[in-house]
Amino acid sequence: MTARKARVSGPAGAGIAPRISDATGDRFPGFNVLDQVSHWDPVTAGLVLSRVGRPPDIRFFSPAEEATATALCDRLLGQDGEPKIAVIPRIDARLAEQETDGWRYADMPEDGQAWRESLRFLDEDSRAACSCELARASVEDQRAVIQSVQDLGVKDWHGLNAAHVWSLWTRYACTAFYAHPSAWNEIGFPGPAYPRGYKNPGTDAREPYEVADTRPSADPLGGKDR
Amino acid sequence: MAAVRERNESAWLLPNDGSRTNHRLRDDMRRFADSDLVDLVVVGCGAGGSTLLQRLARRGWQVVGLDAGPFWDPDADWVSDEAGSHHLYWTEPRVISGTDPVPMGSNNSGRGVGGSMVHFAGYTPRFHPSDFATWTNDGVGADWPISYRDLRPYYEDIEQELPVAGEDWPWGDPHSYPQRPHPVGGNGEIFLRGAYASGITAKVGPVAISNGRFGNRPHCIYRGFCLQGCKVNAKASPLITHIPDALAHGAEIRANAMVTGIGFDERTGRATGVHYICGGVARFQRAAAVAIAGYSIETPRLLLNSASRRFPDGMCNDFDQVGRYLMVQGAPQTAGRFEAEVRMYKSPPPEVSSEQFYETDPRKPYKRGFSIQTVSPLPITWAEHVAAQGHWGADLRRYMSDYVHWSCLGALCEFLAQPGNRVTLAEEKDRYGLPVANFSYSQCDNDKQLTRAAQGVMEQILHAAGADEVITIDRYAHLVGGARMAADEQNGVVDGNCRSFAIPNLYITDGSVLPTQGSANPALTIMAVTARAAAHLAAGGR
Repeated sequence: MTARKARVSGPAGAGIAPRISDATGDRFPGFNVLDQVSHWDPVTAGLVLSRVGRPPDIRFFSPAEEATATALCDRLLGQDGEPKIAVIPRIDARLAEQETDGWRYADMPEDGQAWRESLRFLDEDSRAACSCELARASVEDQRAVIQSVQDLGVKDWHGLNAAHVWSLWTRYACTAFYAHPSAWNEIGFPGPAYPRGYKNPGTDAREPYEVADTRPSADPLGGKDR
Repeated sequence: MAAVRERNESAWLLPNDGSRTNHRLRDDMRRFADSDLVDLVVVGCGAGGSTLLQRLARRGWQVVGLDAGPFWDPDADWVSDEAGSHHLYWTEPRVISGTDPVPMGSNNSGRGVGGSMVHFAGYTPRFHPSDFATWTNDGVGADWPISYRDLRPYYEDIEQELPVAGEDWPWGDPHSYPQRPHPVGGNGEIFLRGAYASGITAKVGPVAISNGRFGNRPHCIYRGFCLQGCKVNAKASPLITHIPDALAHGAEIRANAMVTGIGFDERTGRATGVHYICGGVARFQRAAAVAIAGYSIETPRLLLNSASRRFPDGMCNDFDQVGRYLMVQGAPQTAGRFEAEVRMYKSPPPEVSSEQFYETDPRKPYKRGFSIQTVSPLPITWAEHVAAQGHWGADLRRYMSDYVHWSCLGALCEFLAQPGNRVTLAEEKDRYGLPVANFSYSQCDNDKQLTRAAQGVMEQILHAAGADEVITIDRYAHLVGGARMAADEQNGVVDGNCRSFAIPNLYITDGSVLPTQGSANPALTIMAVTARAAAHLAAGGR
């Protein structure tokens, strides 16, 4: 009921932020944060809408690096089908502009170099395991190559601390993905909230435009309703 | 509140038409020439620097505050968005090392007028009286050269100026707050319920978020983006609590000015001003006195980068104290899963806290303690939380789609001051050609025991509230120390009035002077220590 009302009040949202290929079973049907754009302040709206527009051209990654990074991030983020959120252009832009998190581990090169090196090492691992670069391997093989890096924990991986590499990849990938309105739709998060704010905080309380979770028992740890 | 307005008119100098910045006040700001010998130049316009500027401008001093970052306009510069708030943090390069390296950036470092308080959550607890004598009481940490009693009147003043909202506070030195506690959202509700069920006292507050109109600052709208800069002007930061009054009393704020060195006269042994770069041009502001307020990483870095014949190992570093005893709080976050929708993003992250475990418990194997607070991470931060559990791929997405069902608590554990936890200069240089900071951090056994104890209490609270699953990640919060105050120059960099031992007209007025950190968020104490130093400066004349 609420979902239908939200759609009617702002139909523009659905067209510019399509629902991404779903790994989660569409828990918030009809929820589209962009239906509320008219309630956002213009500076925030401009920024968020820029993320659903044409992504920036690749400037930092070489074509080979772009291919490996795409395979890596698609697997890390479970983007196994179309349509997808284009995270690689966002990561590429951050690296080109040296927009780091403001620190690096002493045993790691600076972020851009660390991305280049780690992508090269992924291809080396992939060639050893599957006789081809990561981007050409099957999705299952890509997962296995990536899993083997995570399994190292803090141990050495081609001269780098594997946990510090894992942290680098997941920080950039998660930031790019969960900054996108299509990802917010998937998790029921309404995004910007200025100047309106919220009037119904509290457990099991919703704003008129928020959509109830259709599967509240889908505890990711409980193994129920997977 | 009349008394507050008489000594700090900031909230009444903001616009009341729905916009957030008094552009007229900034346009009409007094401007000094580099060649003017101003009474005081302040490096950094965060919690410490801004408080000092406001206090001394009020006393008629000619003061200039320099900040490496922008003079923010919340309407134009800030967004109600997580990834888009990256520019609020100090993201110039830094190297982290040690056995337990501490991530910087969004975690603890601000840039621009208002400093880290622009993106701090808003918690403003006082330190406890015991924090000032942990060495005497427990044989750990250090004793301060001043006591809680010395700071108390300044705590009271600052609490009125921010202002702070919260319940009557039963811990430490019991006190009340100028504003009533805020209503709580889902996360606060769960903390209160779980604490009550497990016999733990929890209280709403203390937060520097206006509950009701304060001057021309509006009421909080509970939108949950406190860590992204408050576009409402409801959450306190010096940008709106101290800078407007400073401007009205003749202070100059020079933004986008990166200080690269402290001027020093070898003959007189006095500071002469500051070297800085603005718009690519290297300049020098003359001043009769200098106050450094760049916080625990940049303050030691600036001192180390200000070496001279008299100070070959860095300014004020005769006894190898600069950069040492830097502290962070262990800040494990424990989240609980509820069948009900919590939607923890729908309220300020700072809501409810408990200081029941703050003091040393003689029955425990560790010294000192921890506090517990609501934290309410937004999706990107929550994704880091989930990824830190090892989840990725479809697993990560499924986990994230469960976001609305999770409640999250955070602890602040009093990690102890250790000499080896310090800032040194790295090989790497920044875009100004200055060596960047290398911050080395390693935990001691007491630190690790506190973290696990805090995790246990948070799990207990969440289970008592009805959580069926809990997960915990280890992280850090806040920074203090690195140029601490002490009774003498062999044990610290400044005295109890924040004056450096080595140079009589050089002051440090920021979190780096704190010798211990308690389990309290440091902003209020940084402001109170600075307000006290300002009173001393004003009383002593120029």
